[in-house]
Amino acid sequence: MQETKTILVADDESHILNVVSLKLRNAGFRVVTAADGQEAFDLAHQEKPDLLITDYHMPQLSGLELCQKLKHDPQTCSIKAIMLTARGYHLEPTDTEQSGILRMLSKPFSPRQLLATVNEVLQLAA
Amino acid sequence: MRRTTFLTLLAFLLLAGGVVCLMQKARVLALGGDSDTSLYAGAALLMLAATSALFALTMLRRSCITLEKRLEKSISRGKLEQVIASDIQAQSLVGAINDVMDFADRSVTESAMKLKEIEIQLKVATGRRQHAEAILYSISDAVLVTDQFDELVLANEAAARIFGFDLEEATRKPMASVIADTTMVQLINDMRQSGSTNGRRIVEHQIKGPGSSPMTFKATLSCVSDRADQPAGVVAVLHDMTKEKEVAEMKNDFVSNVSHELRTPLASIKAYVEMLIDGEADDERTKREFYDIIQSEANRLGRLIDNILNISRIESGLVKVNKQPQSLTVILKEAIEVITPQAKMKKIEIVEQLTPVFYQTQADKDMLYQAVLNLLSNSVKYTPESGRITVQTLVDESKRKVIARISDTGVGIPPKDLPFVFDKFYRAEANNRMAKGTGLGLSLVKHIIETVHHGRIFVESQVNKGSTFGFEIELI
Repeated sequence: MQETKTILVADDESHILNVVSLKLRNAGFRVVTAADGQEAFDLAHQEKPDLLITDYHMPQLSGLELCQKLKHDPQTCSIKAIMLTARGYHLEPTDTEQSGILRMLSKPFSPRQLLATVNEVLQLAA
Repeated sequence: MRRTTFLTLLAFLLLAGGVVCLMQKARVLALGGDSDTSLYAGAALLMLAATSALFALTMLRRSCITLEKRLEKSISRGKLEQVIASDIQAQSLVGAINDVMDFADRSVTESAMKLKEIEIQLKVATGRRQHAEAILYSISDAVLVTDQFDELVLANEAAARIFGFDLEEATRKPMASVIADTTMVQLINDMRQSGSTNGRRIVEHQIKGPGSSPMTFKATLSCVSDRADQPAGVVAVLHDMTKEKEVAEMKNDFVSNVSHELRTPLASIKAYVEMLIDGEADDERTKREFYDIIQSEANRLGRLIDNILNISRIESGLVKVNKQPQSLTVILKEAIEVITPQAKMKKIEIVEQLTPVFYQTQADKDMLYQAVLNLLSNSVKYTPESGRITVQTLVDESKRKVIARISDTGVGIPPKDLPFVFDKFYRAEANNRMAKGTGLGLSLVKHIIETVHHGRIFVESQVNKGSTFGFEIELI
């Protein structure tokens, strides 16, 4: 039987956090949630998730800063990330190297498309 | 004059007679004769001739002196007349002198006319230059004009101010000694050396302003050519784009913030709708919850658009203001009534300390109500359960002002955030989790109080103790 993957979702918008969590749980993933960058950083160390889905604009620590910090930490450097953004941020090739962000989705996003991206990134990581 | 002629002729005749007598004596001596008659006669005739000549010369000299005096007199009068000479010998001389004087007279007249013409041209040129300088000085753009030796020929006050030189002292000095900005000097040098008489170059140039922030200019450089179409200097015009850049950046930030704020509720609406379509909500309670979220996020989106439009209308002066005598107490009471159900849900007590209604202000009721409601709504949002909100009005009769204060026992605002709470889209990060907002509410309140009602808004706050938002406006 396939091992249940854990996904850490970080967003300061509770509605987004809830809808993403529900979509992923319905698809069979284990989901842990954080409402800001710092909480996500702490949970990443605690939970060692297979994937991180983070908002770009968050209090305490932005999504990009969070990913960069995780990438530089040997305990969390292997965590792959998907970023959600309402700022139209474009993914540069260096971002992948320095932050582990593999995909970027713009808000408003489709939960269906997010799930497809999650599966794609997890396959890449495997 | 006739006497001089006569004496001259006589002198010639006597001279001739004398010479004939002496020649006769010489011939006699040559033939071996010996008579002194011819010698004496000749000598006498020669002496007479000399005397006549002396007289003639004396008279001629006198005529010349007279003539000279007449000429001097004529010249000193400034009018050259025809000098009538009575002496025949002086006639030609006088004629020649008159010709010369005619010529000189004509030349002087022509020269005077030319001088007048040049004076007029000079006046016109000076007028044109002054006109050009007046235009140059009146324009806000900085203008520098240099010649082929890179000397500063012309500059205006704007240029002097930007580059920090004295306008009067700088003219005709080497540009490099006047302008400390080496990049600008180099740009002008390069332009002159390029020798392009029909092209111009536009560059963005940054100059360190009086403060620490740099000023951005659009520098337009063009070569000035002389009559032979050879490069004779450079004209540099610098247009200050600092404000334009700031406005463009502000506009860009505003659009970026608006887009972010619009996308956030839209993201929720889109995601929950898709979840409902895909049947991800499997029970009625979850479906109900999704509908409620969609509705509240759609409302948030609507409020956001309203706020953006209201702020934009007030800022651009397009909003219609309908000011009439109003009681701030009445407006506050109405707002309290509307907000009370929300406060009750959180068990928040609202305490009223309001002045009598007869104190009136000249106000737009709808706008002031909107401002007060926004402040009250914020107090309820950021005050934890079982807190207290005090709504107070104070009248300052001496200053003819009414002050409204809305104090809560809420989470407070960190000191670092306090100066920015009225800025568009600014939200104190620490309080972000407490409530969702558009980041535009307080900015709108500030506009309503300060722009529309010419009042003053203020905030006092202590973290974990509470905040007081208030404003003062004039009494009628």
